[in-house]
Amino acid sequence: MSEFEPTIVAFFCNWCTYTAADLAGTSRLSYPPNIKSIRVMCTGMVDPQYVIKAFLEGADGVLISGCHPGDCHYINGNFKARRRIKLLKEILPQFGFDQQRLRLTWIGASDGIMFAEVMRGLVAQIKALGPSQAKLKMVI
Amino acid sequence: MSERIGFYICHCGINIAYRVRVQEVAEYVAALPNVVISRDYLFMCSDPGQELIEKDIREHHLTRVVVASCSPRMHEKTFRAACQRAGLNPFRAFHMVSVREQVSWVTEDADEATQKAKILAGAGILRVTHQASLTPATFPVCTNTLIVGGGIAGMQAALDIAKAGFKAYLVERQPTVGGHMLQYDKTFPTLDCAACIGTPKMVSVGQEANIELLSYSEVEDVSGFIGNFKVKVRRKSRYIENSCTGCGECEKVCPIEFPNEWDVATKTRKAIYRPFPQAVPITYCIDKYDRAPCVQTCPAGTNVQGYVALIKSGRYREAINLIMEKLPLPGTLGRVCPAPCEKECRRAGVDAAVAIRDLKRFAADQVDLAGLPLPEIKDRPEKIAVIGSGPAGLTVAYYMRLKGYRVTIFEALDQAGGMLRVGIPDYRLPPKILDNEINHILRHGIELRTGVRFGSDLSLEGLRQEGFGATFLGIGAHDAIRMSIPGEDQAAGVIDALAFLREVSLGKGEIPGRRVIVIGGGNVAIDAARVAKRLGTEKVTVVYRRSEQEMPAYPEELQGAREEGIEFSYLTAPVSIERQDGKVTGFECIRTELGPPDASRRRRPVPVEGSEFVIACDAVIPAIGQKIDVSWSAAEPDLKLTSRNTFTVNPHTFQTSLPDVFAAGDAVTGPATVIEAVAAGHRAVAAMHRFINGEDLDKYAAELLTEEQPGTDWQEISDKIQKAPRVVSAHLDPVQRAESFDEVDRNFSEAAARQEAARCVDCGGCCECKLCVSACEAKAINHAMEDKVEEIEVGSIIVATGFDPLDPTPMQQYGYGRYANVFTNLEFERLSNATGPTGGKLLKRDPYDRLKFSEPPKSVAILHCIGSRDINYHQYCSRTCCMYALKYAHLLKDKCGHDTLVYNFYIDMRCFGKGYEEFYMRVQSEGVRMVRGKASRVEEKDGILTVTAEDTLSDRIVKVPVEMVILCTAMEARSDASAVSRIFGISVGSDGFFQEEHPKLEPVSTPTAGVFLAGACQGPKDIPDTVAQAKGAAAEALALSASGEVAVAPMISSIDPDICIGCQACIGQCAYSAIEFNELKGVSEVNEAVCKGCGSCSARCPSGAAKVRHFTDKQIFAEIDGLLAG
Repeated sequence: MSEFEPTIVAFFCNWCTYTAADLAGTSRLSYPPNIKSIRVMCTGMVDPQYVIKAFLEGADGVLISGCHPGDCHYINGNFKARRRIKLLKEILPQFGFDQQRLRLTWIGASDGIMFAEVMRGLVAQIKALGPSQAKLKMVI
Repeated sequence: MSERIGFYICHCGINIAYRVRVQEVAEYVAALPNVVISRDYLFMCSDPGQELIEKDIREHHLTRVVVASCSPRMHEKTFRAACQRAGLNPFRAFHMVSVREQVSWVTEDADEATQKAKILAGAGILRVTHQASLTPATFPVCTNTLIVGGGIAGMQAALDIAKAGFKAYLVERQPTVGGHMLQYDKTFPTLDCAACIGTPKMVSVGQEANIELLSYSEVEDVSGFIGNFKVKVRRKSRYIENSCTGCGECEKVCPIEFPNEWDVATKTRKAIYRPFPQAVPITYCIDKYDRAPCVQTCPAGTNVQGYVALIKSGRYREAINLIMEKLPLPGTLGRVCPAPCEKECRRAGVDAAVAIRDLKRFAADQVDLAGLPLPEIKDRPEKIAVIGSGPAGLTVAYYMRLKGYRVTIFEALDQAGGMLRVGIPDYRLPPKILDNEINHILRHGIELRTGVRFGSDLSLEGLRQEGFGATFLGIGAHDAIRMSIPGEDQAAGVIDALAFLREVSLGKGEIPGRRVIVIGGGNVAIDAARVAKRLGTEKVTVVYRRSEQEMPAYPEELQGAREEGIEFSYLTAPVSIERQDGKVTGFECIRTELGPPDASRRRRPVPVEGSEFVIACDAVIPAIGQKIDVSWSAAEPDLKLTSRNTFTVNPHTFQTSLPDVFAAGDAVTGPATVIEAVAAGHRAVAAMHRFINGEDLDKYAAELLTEEQPGTDWQEISDKIQKAPRVVSAHLDPVQRAESFDEVDRNFSEAAARQEAARCVDCGGCCECKLCVSACEAKAINHAMEDKVEEIEVGSIIVATGFDPLDPTPMQQYGYGRYANVFTNLEFERLSNATGPTGGKLLKRDPYDRLKFSEPPKSVAILHCIGSRDINYHQYCSRTCCMYALKYAHLLKDKCGHDTLVYNFYIDMRCFGKGYEEFYMRVQSEGVRMVRGKASRVEEKDGILTVTAEDTLSDRIVKVPVEMVILCTAMEARSDASAVSRIFGISVGSDGFFQEEHPKLEPVSTPTAGVFLAGACQGPKDIPDTVAQAKGAAAEALALSASGEVAVAPMISSIDPDICIGCQACIGQCAYSAIEFNELKGVSEVNEAVCKGCGSCSARCPSGAAKVRHFTDKQIFAEIDGLLAG
């Protein structure tokens, strides 16, 4: 079956979304394996460079997920992430990437069920967008 | 240096291996660059597993180790420790990859799972080679602990910490410790009385040397980190010092009552109170909000709420004393004041404003002023002259005299009172009332000289020479404004209203004529009209140039005038007065229309051309306005007047153009109300007192400008409040009263007065009547006390803030709040408790008075799971309800008799603890009927409550009639849990309770280092479990205090000074203000003690100088490479 299976690089904040991911695991919920996570301490730690690099290396989607606004373990790291990602989304097309491939979500530590739902939904949406053109267009 | 990586993938029993083909992954990784060892093993975290790593490190000279197993949140520490034991720096050497929680447990297909595991492992292998050596910094810890919440959990934790020899701060926001447990009666399964086991703990907490109890206080802010927290605690003011002995004399005299929160509103308490008799600390507490709107609105600042409350409790003398602190004329103002306070009264939002003025008059009529004792006045040498004995002058004279000054009042007429005497007719203000009040004022030692007029008999220089240190001018506005129309000036038949009223008041009044026209629309016009009627005039017509809506006269006066047969001609303006042989024969007027508004914002009357007409009359009384008599002005050229001929004064100090002369009242404002004159008199007194003492009045005036605005935080009005009509004063019959000067308003009875006063909703809480101050023998009451904010230093924090019971009012099917005998569990506990409303008897509630209880019920239904195990409210089980439901069943049988029918409607019986199942058997043996089916509704008819449920064991719908229903409501997280969680940096789970670090293994710690949880704030639980958790949290805190130091994770930010360009963008990003700019070097620097490693700075840094250690760009890039390889 050569159905397109996207690769989605995900940055999860240690305190909330990574914990929610663990909770989804202990609750034995299932979601597709396309999500590959990188643990960071806070979504505010996610440098736009990481996102660009992921896309340039062929990621079909990038997800950044952290604590709900107001609940950031580091007080307001997620607010800074929100501003940064908003700006990054604006300039992403200039790099030749569809804005919709970059997502920012808030998933709290006890939101195991929501985590699985969001992952399933995201994989379906990125699948619908098709493979990222980066691998085809880049010659390095 | 070449890398030598050891890779290990764990089977985790079958947890990983059942889905991920672990050997295949190990083989795959073995082929990756730099990997020299690649193994799979059953349980990596076990001792042999760890030893395997250590052995390989030594034997194969490994430089890095990657373990693919469970979540790093589980075992990262374990494997780092293993690497360290083998001689490697744990941060440099080790990386962990999760292939269980995020792979094997969530991926259905084994191929996909195995593939994902390979990719993640490969990414980990790439990342680990970029890691650097790090050493955790250690900091000394403060050995104090902060415990937030003084319930059983908080108290127990405090006692354990104190026993170990360390200091605990216990912050409790109620005035007493104890929490919900102390509200209960008996506790299951032992039926120990909660107070008996709880009060010893409360007392110990209060007395233990190592516990500092901060009661009636709340934590406002927490900063710092584990071992080094700085906490701001707000000590709310009780308005009572610690010298309070708890005797309770103050409570007896307080006139304000509230529902008692401790008793869940089954009982009332006073504004000065103690939640219950065994409260710790014993110190009383005053419940005060911002000053009520009526108090804030009164120009003189009279304590309206206070005297209304005193009238409600029948204490009229105290009410008058309180009024006279601001107003020396209670009976007068109780009759003539326009009552701006009533317009702000919040009771108006329910039904109608409280009849404040009429109540003041009522109180004044009950008290004989001559019988009041005079205060001790310490005489001062200075003399004060007060010119004018109207309300402004009387106020200044009285309050200056109370300060000790020797005061002389100079009055031009031969009777004192000013406009009160000669402007307000006797049927509104009986002369006897005015005489009593003036005499009472003079009785304090004030000299009155009548028949002396300012300008002709008195001069300012003359007064100075007589030794008067300051003079007050309250000469009022007794001159009439002229209409300036033809025919006005000749003497007979035309008399201005002020002169007319004055003559009548002084006993020289004559009937003006048979048919009288009064011109004007203000109170003076109406007074003149009604007085003319009483003198025998056959027809009185009031002529006003605008319409009825624009008339400034008080509506009651207009109504009174109409009832007495006075006629009104609106939209009628004066043209001329017709005379024949010198006598008035008619009044020529012209019709007007209302045009656009003028300066007074009322519509301007515009004469209608050609609409002149004549009203036949024999007397005209103009009442179109008042002005100040300035006939003295030639004699006093330095006393400046404004263009309107009022005194020029400083608006704050009322000082005139002459420094030792002050003026207030109508003489400054133009015609205004009595209460405004009194208020201005007060401000003049404050200024004159400072002037006499040589203070700088300009500075004083500037201080007044910076005074704080009063707040609007008032007591909420319950939506259960019963409406009641406003009292109506009796009035004399209109026809009869128009023939005499008897007082028209007859007020009302004492019963009506006290009932009316009870309608006050006590907006300000405590009304500051200060009766408590006089009652307190320990002199402990201080109404001026203010909140204090203290900063304390602690090393650890235990959050033990407890729970809230669910409010079942929205569950209409159970009728809580509508049916008198549907109780919540907490209400029932208070009934059963000896300090509750019934002294411990279980009695039914009176349907017409929620505070009255009658006989014991003959049948009771106890409904389990109200709000728990319910998808519409809380899915969780509240754990304690089945047990206390059995307890209630037992108490009912015990206190109300064993033939009382008791039914428990349950879903499942949860009797899981020690002695619980045995207790269940015992209660069943007492004849309690257990119905297995949650009650669906409760309906009331004629006092009988019918409970409907499906009895699932007998498969029938049952309808059970009972006299009382008890709802076992869910235990909920506190309503402010989210806000509290943010203060401490902890999180709230999906059920609303605080989130523990791990539901099985770490129930008392949180992900935030140094902050622990204890008790119901973490989840519903009973007392034994709460105490156990409290001891556990105390142990965690003590572990920190005992070790004396804490290692802080080294994954914090560092800024490479060689790369930093000094743009300072990072500084603004830091939520902890952990970055400072080094002016000398021109670079930003991280304070390692404060930085928490969030990474906001590193993500922002444009030059890449700022990096979070262990999360560097190279490391993340390597991980991304790995994830996207192939």
